[in-house]
Amino acid sequence: MVEVTELTKTYQDLKAGQFVALDRVSFHVAPGEIFGLLGPNGAGKTTALRILSTVLKPTSGSARVAGFDVNHHPNEVRHSIGFVSNNTAMYERMTAWEFVEYFGKLYGIEAEQLERRMHNIFSDLQMLDIRDVVGAKMSTGMKQKVSIARAIIHDPPVLVFDEPSLGLDVLVARALLKIIGQLRDAGKCIIFSTHIMREVERLCDRVAILYHGRILATGTLAELADRYHETDFEELFFTALAESDQQQVQLNGSLGHSHERDSFSPTTSECL
Amino acid sequence: MNWRHVNLIYMRELTDQLRDRRTVFTITVLPLLLYPLIGMLMMQVAQFNKRQAANVRIVGLDNWPSELPLLDKRNKPILHPGMIDVSEWMNFESQPWPTIDGEFSWEQMLTAARTDIASDKIDAVLFVEPGFEQELRSRLTVAAAGTTGSGSAILNDADSAGITPLSTQESVVEHVGVKPSSDGLQVIANLARDNSRIAQERIGVLLDSWRAAWVSSQLASAGMSPRLIEPFTVDATDTATESVKSAVLWTKILPMVMLVWALTGAFYPAIDLCAGEKERGTLETLLSSPARRAEIVWGKLFTVITFSVSSAVLNLLSMHFTASFVVRKLLLSGIPDLAETLGPLPIQAVGWLLLLLLPMAAFFSALALAIAALARSTKEGQYYLMPLLLVTLPLVSLPMLPSMSLNLGTSLIPVTGTVFLIRSLIEGRYFEAFIYLPTVVLVTACCCGLSIRWAIKQFESETVMFRESERWNLKLLLHHLWRDREDTASTASALLAGAIILVSIFFAQLAAGSFVSGWSGIASSTFIVQVLLILTPCLLMSVYLTRSPRRALRIHRVQFSHVIAALGLGVAVHPTYSALGYAIQQLYEIGPETQQLLAKFQHMVGSQPLWAVLMILAALPALCEELAFRGFIFGGLLRSGGALRAIVVTSLLFGFAHPVLQQSIAAALMGLFLGLIAWRTGGVICTIVVHLINNTLSVSMAWMAMNHFEPPAALSWAVYSQDSSWTYTPTWSTLSVLLALTLTFILMRRDTQTQRTVQAEMA
Repeated sequence: MVEVTELTKTYQDLKAGQFVALDRVSFHVAPGEIFGLLGPNGAGKTTALRILSTVLKPTSGSARVAGFDVNHHPNEVRHSIGFVSNNTAMYERMTAWEFVEYFGKLYGIEAEQLERRMHNIFSDLQMLDIRDVVGAKMSTGMKQKVSIARAIIHDPPVLVFDEPSLGLDVLVARALLKIIGQLRDAGKCIIFSTHIMREVERLCDRVAILYHGRILATGTLAELADRYHETDFEELFFTALAESDQQQVQLNGSLGHSHERDSFSPTTSECL
Repeated sequence: MNWRHVNLIYMRELTDQLRDRRTVFTITVLPLLLYPLIGMLMMQVAQFNKRQAANVRIVGLDNWPSELPLLDKRNKPILHPGMIDVSEWMNFESQPWPTIDGEFSWEQMLTAARTDIASDKIDAVLFVEPGFEQELRSRLTVAAAGTTGSGSAILNDADSAGITPLSTQESVVEHVGVKPSSDGLQVIANLARDNSRIAQERIGVLLDSWRAAWVSSQLASAGMSPRLIEPFTVDATDTATESVKSAVLWTKILPMVMLVWALTGAFYPAIDLCAGEKERGTLETLLSSPARRAEIVWGKLFTVITFSVSSAVLNLLSMHFTASFVVRKLLLSGIPDLAETLGPLPIQAVGWLLLLLLPMAAFFSALALAIAALARSTKEGQYYLMPLLLVTLPLVSLPMLPSMSLNLGTSLIPVTGTVFLIRSLIEGRYFEAFIYLPTVVLVTACCCGLSIRWAIKQFESETVMFRESERWNLKLLLHHLWRDREDTASTASALLAGAIILVSIFFAQLAAGSFVSGWSGIASSTFIVQVLLILTPCLLMSVYLTRSPRRALRIHRVQFSHVIAALGLGVAVHPTYSALGYAIQQLYEIGPETQQLLAKFQHMVGSQPLWAVLMILAALPALCEELAFRGFIFGGLLRSGGALRAIVVTSLLFGFAHPVLQQSIAAALMGLFLGLIAWRTGGVICTIVVHLINNTLSVSMAWMAMNHFEPPAALSWAVYSQDSSWTYTPTWSTLSVLLALTLTFILMRRDTQTQRTVQAEMA
């Protein structure tokens, strides 16, 4: 359903020069599967998901969503994907109902069908009591629910959640994870980025650990546990990161680069 | 383009803005309240001003000539024939001339006057000294005793009687050492106080009026006609219709007010719709929706246009109604002059103004949207308003200059041309408007199109949409410029090079003035401008800011067919260029000073050997200007698919780099053509060839004519000599256009390698 091959994204940075946000990232996600993209802040999770939602264009590599290439068929991709991120906020002067309806109309859903779907979604997500509340007066949890409603209004086969539980309290976060689980059960292909291990353990069928723009490891939790000889996922994650750092130090050492690698800066061009 | 999406976005943005109390207040409530409040204030001030009659004390009224008294016994001014009635503006009190033991004390009188003025008891004091009447009469005697007895002597003397003492008066503060005046009249006032100043002015009016009556009466008593001092009067007939007359001031003021409001009305919603959305994090929600970037821009653009138009219309109407109302009141209060010029605006004028508003609002809105898209936050967005206003205000206020009118030149200036066109329409000059309508429409459409295109480009640019604040300092920047330099210049360094060139040429011109000392002066100044000011900045930047100076200057391999075509094109395009130069000179006449300079310049050039002239005036500029404008700067602007940007901007820079306006216009137009060639041929070689041949032909034809050479007989079908200059024959002029078009067509065709070169440059 989602196929990412050698996806690379670079851009200019005043300090670091050519900044590699994503370095040849590849993964695939099947329908009915939750794929966790795990990584610390600045690892490149948001960049990868922004490329999948066609907001950014990749520097090289390809990504296909529901069979459509993000470079060549961005409109079809946008119709096939629902994107929830901290950067996709809700309008402050619009009510929840108006907000979801607006996006439903943008997706070209017929009025009758839209009305029906909105009723279903609002009752499924228990949002009927906030349907006439404007964005400015909503709590973070309410806004996140509305964002999910907005993302699924056109019933897309693929859903992308970029750190959806950020800033939510435990109760709301738990409810949110439940909703995401239900969406998976409904056959959706879900990509879920987070840096919270508990969420990964609870929810994800497969995981990719992303660090400094590169994927360190991909697999089911059991496969990763086998590979790193570690059953505690949090420990596993840190082991993976430490290994990567160690490799980087060795690489820099072999190239005569004594000081620690400046995060994300390309190495070869500066070593001359 | 899905217009359903555009409509949806437009309706949402509009609703959203209307739900914002601040926007609604600024756009609708404020103009509706602002002007009536200002009007009310003005009325109050006017009433205050009117009711406040000046209190004037006249000391020594008994010294006034008794045959033409100034005040009656109740201290009311007496209206002699021809005098102005000031009784409503001035209250008088009179005091006899004081004598203390037969001694007259200025100090005491001044102290009393100063104290009373300071305590607001009175506003001004007029001293009529005992010698006043005698002084008047003595001058009459002198005049009468004069051999000619001319009226002018009487007039001058009479003049000095009233005016001189008045005009020499200063504020009380400076009156400490004052002495009795020579003519017997003196006013004491405190000019730092408005009431006192007004009182002094009114005393002046009263005395002027009395003086005229005095002169008339003296002339009559001398047996001469009072008409002597006004030998003739002129009857004037105004051909302006009432409706035009009443709109005359409005047509000057309203377009400017309306357009400034259209701009500010566009700017704030634009900031909210771009930078505001970035700040609130809702822009990415929209960008990830099915709406394309162009659809988002159009939706937002229509919203901004709506607010721009509403803001301008509401301000226009509110201001007009308030002013008309105030004017009616003023009319009733007896200021008919002002009332006439600020009369009600004819309804068709309102219609024309609204017609002006729509394209201008679209233009301003697209500009505001593109600029607002650059901003990361609303605060940053606010900073961009001032530069935008600074660029737009001169264009809007240019038509207010009295000497400017609608012609081909002004019709080509964005915004200004449109304002002129609308003014012509309002004043009923439909034929004139009709003639310039196509140019104005074309220019306005181009401006709207370009600004909308820019706005869409901004929304399509990741760096603009997802720009984040980063640490910045000069060291980091310099390090970045050196470390991350690429094969060709960046757009920013290209623009910087253009700015450096223009600014240095400007200062060089200021430093050199208009003085050119002989041929060596011409040669050295051309060398300095071309090599040091134009080429050197680009060379240095290509060495230090790019990895390949050759590629940065666009010295690429070119197709052989292109070089041959460029050779022919240089010859073929020259007649058109000459005709263009001639047409521009007809349109904008060269000033006499510049003409003199040019003639001197030509004379100096004509006396030099041709090869030297060609080297300095033809080859050097062709090489330096092309390497700079169509080379380095063009290459930088060409990046990210900016072919149109490169062509337009380099032609403007090329135009501005020429000192004489007429040259600038011709160069800018030629720059467009050279830019097209530079783009299609993928390098600078062909434009150097065209430029070189064009310069060579211009210079050598002028040189030949200056040295009285006749065109060779073999070229008689193309060139002939007329009025000591070489001119192209009509046959060749026509044929050359066809040839130029054919050669241009050849230049447009790229082979695979050129195609690859250009694609790499445009990446």
